[in-house]
Amino acid sequence: MEGKVLIANRGEIAIRIMNACAGLGLDYAVVYTEADKESEHVRRNVTHGPGQNAWRITSYTEPNDLLAVADHAGCTAIHPGYGFFAEDYRFARRATKRDRALTFIGPSWQVIKELGDKINTKRLANKLGIPTIPGTDTPIYNEMEAEEIALGLLSQQKTDGIQNPSILIKAAAGGGGMGIVEVTEIEQFRRTYRQLQVYAKRQFGDGGVLIEQCLRDYNHLEVQLLCSKHGERIHFSSRNCTIQSTGRQKRVEAAPGFHRSCFDYGFDEEQLLRQIVDYSLRLAAEVGYDSVGTWEWIVTRSGQPYLLEVNTRIQVENDISARISYLHGQQPNLIREQIRLALGDKMGYRQEDIEFRGAAIELRIVAEDTRRGFAPWIGTISEFSFPSHPWSVVYSHVPSDRPYTIPSDYDPNLALALVWADTPGEAKQRAADFLAAAAIRGQDASGNPIVTNLDYLRQSLDRLLVF
Amino acid sequence: MNELLQQLQKIAERISYLLQIKDYSSWGNLDGFKSACERLQQAMYDYSAEQMQGEIRKLSNSIAFLEERAEEHLTPMERVRIVRSAQRFSLKDILENVYEDYTELGGQDEASVDPAMICAKATIVRRIDNKSLTASVMVIGQETGHGEEYRNGGSCRPEGNAKARRYMKVAAVEGIPIHFYIFTPGAYPVEEYPGAAQQIARNIYTMTKLPVPMVSLISEGGSGGAEAIGLSDYRLMCSHGYYSVISPEGAAAIEGRNRDGGKAARELIEVCADRLRLTAADNLRHGTIDRIVQEPPLGARRDDFAFFATLRAEMLRATDHVVISAKNFSAFRNWDLHRRQKGAEGKGLSVDIPWDLSGGEMKRLLQLRSQKYLNMGGNAYQGRPDSSRQLLALARERGEKFYYSLRYDFFKKQKKLVNKALVDLGGESTLLVKRLTLPVISLLDKWWEKPTSPAPVLPTGLSSPAEPARDPLELGDAYTSPMARFDRTVSCPNAARYGCKDIWVPDLYGEFAGVCESCGHHFPLEYQWYLQNIFDKGSLRFFNTQIIAGNPLDYTGFASRLWTAREKTGYLAGNLTFHAKVNGIEIIVTMLFSDFRNGTVGAAEGEKFVLACDLAKRKKRPLLAYVHTTGGIRIQEGTLGVTQMPKCTMAVREYIDAGGLYIVVYDNNSYAGPVASFLGCSPYQFAIHSSRIGFAGPQVIRETTGIDIAPGYHSARNALKRGHIQGIWDRREFRRHLHKALMTMGSPGLYYR
Repeated sequence: MEGKVLIANRGEIAIRIMNACAGLGLDYAVVYTEADKESEHVRRNVTHGPGQNAWRITSYTEPNDLLAVADHAGCTAIHPGYGFFAEDYRFARRATKRDRALTFIGPSWQVIKELGDKINTKRLANKLGIPTIPGTDTPIYNEMEAEEIALGLLSQQKTDGIQNPSILIKAAAGGGGMGIVEVTEIEQFRRTYRQLQVYAKRQFGDGGVLIEQCLRDYNHLEVQLLCSKHGERIHFSSRNCTIQSTGRQKRVEAAPGFHRSCFDYGFDEEQLLRQIVDYSLRLAAEVGYDSVGTWEWIVTRSGQPYLLEVNTRIQVENDISARISYLHGQQPNLIREQIRLALGDKMGYRQEDIEFRGAAIELRIVAEDTRRGFAPWIGTISEFSFPSHPWSVVYSHVPSDRPYTIPSDYDPNLALALVWADTPGEAKQRAADFLAAAAIRGQDASGNPIVTNLDYLRQSLDRLLVF
Repeated sequence: MNELLQQLQKIAERISYLLQIKDYSSWGNLDGFKSACERLQQAMYDYSAEQMQGEIRKLSNSIAFLEERAEEHLTPMERVRIVRSAQRFSLKDILENVYEDYTELGGQDEASVDPAMICAKATIVRRIDNKSLTASVMVIGQETGHGEEYRNGGSCRPEGNAKARRYMKVAAVEGIPIHFYIFTPGAYPVEEYPGAAQQIARNIYTMTKLPVPMVSLISEGGSGGAEAIGLSDYRLMCSHGYYSVISPEGAAAIEGRNRDGGKAARELIEVCADRLRLTAADNLRHGTIDRIVQEPPLGARRDDFAFFATLRAEMLRATDHVVISAKNFSAFRNWDLHRRQKGAEGKGLSVDIPWDLSGGEMKRLLQLRSQKYLNMGGNAYQGRPDSSRQLLALARERGEKFYYSLRYDFFKKQKKLVNKALVDLGGESTLLVKRLTLPVISLLDKWWEKPTSPAPVLPTGLSSPAEPARDPLELGDAYTSPMARFDRTVSCPNAARYGCKDIWVPDLYGEFAGVCESCGHHFPLEYQWYLQNIFDKGSLRFFNTQIIAGNPLDYTGFASRLWTAREKTGYLAGNLTFHAKVNGIEIIVTMLFSDFRNGTVGAAEGEKFVLACDLAKRKKRPLLAYVHTTGGIRIQEGTLGVTQMPKCTMAVREYIDAGGLYIVVYDNNSYAGPVASFLGCSPYQFAIHSSRIGFAGPQVIRETTGIDIAPGYHSARNALKRGHIQGIWDRREFRRHLHKALMTMGSPGLYYR
């Protein structure tokens, strides 16, 4: 393929994108910050002299630096990875609308804008008849109206036979879990509403709130879609991302989304999965989605799905969907497909060509203290080794041949490990075997040994995988 | 010998006065005379008395000759120097010599609220048939002093003007005439509470409808400071005084474009003084004053007692004139006054006139005042208003007036009354019926157990069938600034303080509406953006577009600059007046915008403003004065520009008194005259974030006061703190705020209430 890709990210995703580019025969350039100069994604490239393809910048979120590097290195496309600018429609717009335009490897900025706004997504979904969590889809500013809605939601839950009806009031302009309050009695509503409104006004500059039913026991499912610029849209099944640590960080994911071995349920999981995939494709068609993306779903114990939001980017866990999919007998590489399609290629295969088989589990290995509220650990790693199997893969930016100091500027993610097998039970066993053979050693500044979540994963894998 | 010495000293004083007027140039060998005078003084005892007398007479004759020549060829700048001389008479001299006795109000000398402003209750005496008749008047004026530091050269602080306003009101309560004496080079440009501009605006606003006869005398009329006490029924001016929009030095600084504080060349100052047309004769010709009070040659000094006698006669006559013109029956007295006014030596009326006015007479006085000011500067612009004074247009205007007053004043009021009565009646009858039927119904209820009502329907957006309608109060996006076309970034000026990231220009001028996302700094936007995005789409209808800003003073080189501005903007004057709608509410907008001569106000702009007020008043619509930028009064129009301040304030006052809603919104930079009058007098003033509002710019403040102001001195936040404005608006919320203001402010007299 023609072109040069600027990889505007760090860590394992930068390496995965590098590999994907190399696989497609594309030239690429990477950027790094001072803190990341020992990272594998920099050391594999040339930072000085002829053939330089790694440039140091002040920050991964400094658009001027990124675009200057792109211009200097003669890039024609930019891959934002995940995080940073991946879902920033303004950056996407700027990159594609500037004088020396770049191809933004991701959805068009209009789509990012439309689906990046949760409230707007909900409105769109409602319009198409896609179920969303019961509640409002526009910010409410009026106290009386808000109370009406809250009363309606509570009594609806009562008639549905829900044990402890409760609702959530959310600041419409909030995010990241801030400004969310639960209300169980209508009598406490007004007081809570007023408090939240004042908080939201001060914190986010807008006093609007959303009111939703509070769901207590549910599974978090994700549907992986792949779309091209030519209107082709296929899916790569679903995955289950219910297990989340504090701060809603995922640590273990599994594909496919449901399996009998996980828990007892009284609904037809095949039909449910078909339904949410169908809904996801419908919304993608409505907005003209043209890249990889993830549709997040909430599924209650009784099998009622609700659309939560859309992630308009390649996700960390995209690979577990790829590991249960076989395209002409081969597991696909979604990042590679994303780049290929973003540069204008046709897909070249259809939904029927993909066969779903087996199960996959992803483990995120992070330097964090699980017994101290998942607090990050900073120090130097001296040994970093994982077993190598035909049924496993490890993605990491941590070098295995030299010591590596974890930079304190970023999340202390160390590696992603994937295992796959023909059945969920076998996959679980392989995950346990894999963890048992993994070894990470090192120490922090005061000589204490490294703390990672490896032990936590080893001990609680069985428990974690019962959703 | 002592006498001779005194004579010599007198001559020395005259020489130094002449030197001062001639700006110490070597005109007429003045230096030679000065040294001759000094030599004589030193060699006093070498001469005999006769010799001495002869020498003195010779010297005196020469100086007298020079004085005559100087008086013959007085240039405007020389008049300015006469006025600034420490020997010129001041208000204190007038109080001592013109009035019988006086009591200073609000402080004395240094112990005063503001020593630069004197308010005094004074008695003025006239003799008719050997009988003394006394009358009480309120005397208000600036005091320059004769060089005393604490008088600040007659430059009033806001509190001085506040004092003046307070005693104007006292005079109104007591029903006595006010004599204003204007001796100011300009207001002191500080923004301490309530701000120089704000206080002057309040003063002018008060004076527009102050129900007492007011007479003013201008000796030194420096722009805004003069207007603070200058709106009167009869304006006198000293023959050697000046009345100007800006000091010649200030004009020269602007003309010479030395903004960094360098001194302008002396020749340029002379030229500017001439171009500004600041002399009494010029002002009389342009109708900005009513009469000239003749001074002795080279101006009256503190000891010209004959002049004070003239001045007393003139003040009495002017007050009589004002009073008589408001009287119900006054034909003969009027004629007598007119006759005597023609002869300069006339002594005023030979009969007594009571100076207090009855209700009807006051009304007439105010009406005359309103006419006087609304017609001021009527010849200073070109073109004609849409309803130029033709019979048909006039008839239409009258018809409209009748129609709207019938529709809104009469019918709506009646309808409201009827509605109110109906509601009252309805309430009463409902209760009555309920009372009667209650026993029956409750019985029926017991008998027929009703099923419980079903749960309330969920009023959520769940089942909204169509896409929700666009918020009608969102900003429009019809216009994107051409600045957004460039692929570059700008740094926010607050980046150092708040760490704002550089902003990509297409984002900034497109989606962000010119606002920095992280700190809220507002970058300036051109006026077209507001025209297109604030008001309802397609609702703009411009009117009076054929009023053309002119060059009434034939200011050299200004015609071509005006032409450039016209070419650049496609408009004929710097004030856009148009009909517009905000979410369906029809409003009248006047907009000063920066592209046309930096939003300065001249006669054409003032006239358009007055006509807009008039229209809004007639149609009972809200009036929005959106100030994109204003640089003050257009100095090239001289005092014709300055009189726009009282003129427009008069129009605004009448509009507000008729029940209008007058909203002012400032953006970018708003300084000087307009802010100190018709904009500053609004009860509802708002500013866009990051705008600057004040009386004088930083440069002028440094020049006049020597103070370097703090960076945020003129910021909207400071204006809010001192109560000048009532709120700061975010540009992105402009439409919403405006709509809210229209819905919540103003009287029930508006058409949509």
